[in-house]
Amino acid sequence: MKKTLAVLLATAMLFGLVACGSNGGGSSQPEEKTEQIEQTEQGKVFNIYAWNEEFKGFFEKYYTVPEGVTVNWIINPSDGGVYQEKLDEALLNQENAPADEKIDLFLAEADYIGKYVNSDYTMDVTSFGYQNADTMYDYTIKAASTDDGVCKGVSFQCCPAAVIYRKSIAKDVLGTDVPEEVQAKIDSWEKFDAVAADAKAKGYYMTASFAETFRAFSNNCTKPWVDENNNLQFDDQITAWMDQTDNYIKNGYTLTAGVWDTEKTNEMFKDGKTMCFFGPAWYYNFCMTNAQDPDNGCVGDWCIVKGPQAYFWGGTWLLAANGSDNTEMLKDIFETFTVNEDVCSKLVENENQYPNNTTVVDKYANDESYGNTSILDGQNDIKVFSELAKDIKWENHTNYDQLLNEGLQNKLQEYYKGSVDKDTAMKNFYNYVKETYANINVPE
Amino acid sequence: MKKLHQAENRKNKSISYAKWGYIFIAPFFIAYIIFTLIPQFLTIYNSFFETYRDGLTQVGPNFVGLENYKALFTPEAEGTIRILKYAANTMIMWIAGAVPQFLIAILLALFFTSTRLNIKGQGIFKTVIYMPNLIMAAAFSMLFYTLFSRVGPIQALLEQWGVIDNNFDFFSHTITVRGMIALMNFLMWFGNTTIVLMAGIMGIDQDLFEAAAIDGANSVQVFFRVTLPLLMPILVYCLITALIGGIQMYDVPQVLTNGRGEPNELSRTLVMYLNGYLRNKNYGMAGAISVIIFIITGILGGIVYKILSAQYKEGAAKHRERKGNVI
Amino acid sequence: MRMSENTASRIKLAILRVIVYAILIFLCVLCLFFFYLMIVNASRSNAELAKGFSLLPKGSFIDNLKNAWNDGSINIPRGMLNSLFIALSTAVLTTYFSALTAYGIHVYDFKGKKFVFTFIMAIMMIPAQVSALGFVQVMTKFNLLNNYIPLILPGIAAPVVFFYMKQYMESVLPLEIIDAARVDGSGEFRTFNTIVLPILKPAIAVQMIFSFVTSWNNYFIPALLLDKAEMKTVPIMIAQLRSADYSKFDMGKVYMFILLSILPVLIIYIILSKSIIKGVTSGSVKG
Repeated sequence: MKKTLAVLLATAMLFGLVACGSNGGGSSQPEEKTEQIEQTEQGKVFNIYAWNEEFKGFFEKYYTVPEGVTVNWIINPSDGGVYQEKLDEALLNQENAPADEKIDLFLAEADYIGKYVNSDYTMDVTSFGYQNADTMYDYTIKAASTDDGVCKGVSFQCCPAAVIYRKSIAKDVLGTDVPEEVQAKIDSWEKFDAVAADAKAKGYYMTASFAETFRAFSNNCTKPWVDENNNLQFDDQITAWMDQTDNYIKNGYTLTAGVWDTEKTNEMFKDGKTMCFFGPAWYYNFCMTNAQDPDNGCVGDWCIVKGPQAYFWGGTWLLAANGSDNTEMLKDIFETFTVNEDVCSKLVENENQYPNNTTVVDKYANDESYGNTSILDGQNDIKVFSELAKDIKWENHTNYDQLLNEGLQNKLQEYYKGSVDKDTAMKNFYNYVKETYANINVPE
Repeated sequence: MKKLHQAENRKNKSISYAKWGYIFIAPFFIAYIIFTLIPQFLTIYNSFFETYRDGLTQVGPNFVGLENYKALFTPEAEGTIRILKYAANTMIMWIAGAVPQFLIAILLALFFTSTRLNIKGQGIFKTVIYMPNLIMAAAFSMLFYTLFSRVGPIQALLEQWGVIDNNFDFFSHTITVRGMIALMNFLMWFGNTTIVLMAGIMGIDQDLFEAAAIDGANSVQVFFRVTLPLLMPILVYCLITALIGGIQMYDVPQVLTNGRGEPNELSRTLVMYLNGYLRNKNYGMAGAISVIIFIITGILGGIVYKILSAQYKEGAAKHRERKGNVI
Repeated sequence: MRMSENTASRIKLAILRVIVYAILIFLCVLCLFFFYLMIVNASRSNAELAKGFSLLPKGSFIDNLKNAWNDGSINIPRGMLNSLFIALSTAVLTTYFSALTAYGIHVYDFKGKKFVFTFIMAIMMIPAQVSALGFVQVMTKFNLLNNYIPLILPGIAAPVVFFYMKQYMESVLPLEIIDAARVDGSGEFRTFNTIVLPILKPAIAVQMIFSFVTSWNNYFIPALLLDKAEMKTVPIMIAQLRSADYSKFDMGKVYMFILLSILPVLIIYIILSKSIIKGVTSGSVKG
């Protein structure tokens, strides 16, 4: 028996070696070849990692791919951190990958961009001749820069966020639907809470998700999720959000649905009973498709105002991957979506975007004839957003934000639905943190 | 006569053909060693190290001995050991689905094989009850989710009938979530079990039933005295495969609860727990959990094997003997 | 006296039959309900689905089919081809080599045979996920990520299929046939391929479809190994549907994807169902 096992093992090893050898040889050869080409010309394959199709749509419409170049989109869902996992694997393998399989460009969100910016897997944009323009919002540059100020990418959007309210419901609850007057009635959280009570009395909900106001609080935090000793910490803004939500759930001012749940988005149909939604310009396309439904939607019944507290939410950065052999194309793409005024204008007019270009933004903000009619009642939303955008600061972010924000909301949702008490919900959150990030210390 | 002949053959074979035995089983073992055994050892090896990723930086591997196991079995403030909680969840949900699965399957197998009942349209029935097994677990759970979600039809219907109120949520009650998971497992597997058990019953010699009938046994007696004992080997096969599936339970609860195992992680299974660490590249902890699942499997498998194998051997021996007599 | 006893038992049987048919029909309706639901939902537009539930099909079936089939990021035709290739290869390898292994143990006497059998029985219980971690590490070492080899070749070692084949051989494969073949000068492999395999046909048909379905629906391991768009299998694509791409979220399309994902298996199953059921029930596993 021992002998047979030895024979089997030997055969297995041989098989392994053969497999290994042939593979190693197979991949090393093309690499040498392409490296020679690299010095003389640009690569023929351009690989982009993304978590959804938003940017892909703009890219295909507004960017002309150089002749002979194939663009590959590798799209993995962001939910639960899948996108980050797949991207990390590919980046860690970047060095060994054949040139045509190397990532050239990848997208990152505000919640975890730091992880990639402060690594060697991203490339200084000046190394291929791109210059940040004065027309870009400072915070978008800061987010894409290392602590020493080396910039690794750009954002094609700026994401000041507002309160998006249903005019007809505001009229019923507040007696007015004029943005300035509505704003005056909800310009602090105390007032907002008071209006929530009025809305409830009239049979409406103030918000449609327990987590709807989360970003308005969390983006005003004065300390990051994790301190310098890797201890988890709760900012006052986070606790304020939890207190508010406890109160809203208890009084029935909001629903137990999550931000992305159907139960919430159904509230945007014509017969919805919810007055306020919280979001930036991209929210129109992402979350408000029900409002745009031809039969059951309510286009034109919406306006935006600053609300109780200025904040921003999300944003998509384009980061240059170290090892890309398509640097000319990178530069070209970055310029198209940041300094090309024609494209940036189209992003406003055709795509409901708020671009990262102050010249274009100012043009629309000061244009009396411009108004958003695809969702809003013709209000100049660019004007409102441009006021809010001035104050956005980039601070107190960690690499862990996405999964910590997501986890906190998921675990608390069970409490709001009444299936666990608050202590258990928090204990489950701490366990989740421990499982997700072994290096973060949680309170016992 | 046949036996004697076989024995003779065996003697001859053992001299000249033994090497063919090794050759024929070699591919199995080579594949097994490369794709399962080596990974298995690596998994165990990993469990003694602290090794995970912090962003894009690899931490470790640092040898930590049994620290990972200690972490797994350290009770929380109020005394729960989470891995045991998930093991219990897995078993409860499996049993809740497997009991009806086996009862119904045995019943249906008896219906289909009963000459007295002589059921028409058997082909259609058998085809249909097997069909849920073809749907991907993930797709099946998505369908279930849309049916039972807060905005789904079942909620609306039950509200209309006044069975539940507007605040009811199928996903915030342990019993409903576990019930849904058990129901799905039942629906996906009872057809499969029925067909395999039917094969077992049809393999039993008709003479035995006739003999029992002549002795005046009623159908209940026939079932417990003749059918069930002779069905034991195939029942063992079904139980073992079902148990393997049960321990591996992952897709259904994962998709149904979107990976949360709500409420209060009471529908979270062992493999969901394992997968959490796997995805975060925390190979130390993932390795330790794998080893625990391995041990749990071993214990359960041992019990099932022990209880049933005695009868299995007995039944098989008896059956073969009887067959010999008939010939 | 005799007459009435007879009628009594006949009435009893009739009642029993009604109950049995009722149970069978109930279970079948329950099983078919989900397929019906899928088809109905795949025929409704996103807005219609959002409005609520209905048991009546609507007219968007073709639109949804077009949208799903031509979707930019989820290339379902490609996924179906990939899955088909993997599942077919796995099914063939699994059944052939399991039969080969079972034959090796059933027919030949060799040292350690008993140990080998017990060993396979013991490893049968080990869930695949338990070694997933090491599996991914080994495959990464061999540079086999985004490759179908790690999804197909492990099928050679399938203890459960082996067990089934072994049981089957015990009941249907007389050793005399093999001896006769030897006398005729047939080599061992030839005997297995030309004489034994045809005898095992029913068992092979059954295990082929079982392993085809298992492989077609496998998500856990492929999800760990594949991330290139053109390599993805159907279950990975289905899982991707849950991703939060709300701008293009179209539930009608999602249902169509699910329907498409099970269609090939369903068709194969319905075509083969007769011979499969015959295969399982043709006195196969007699123990």
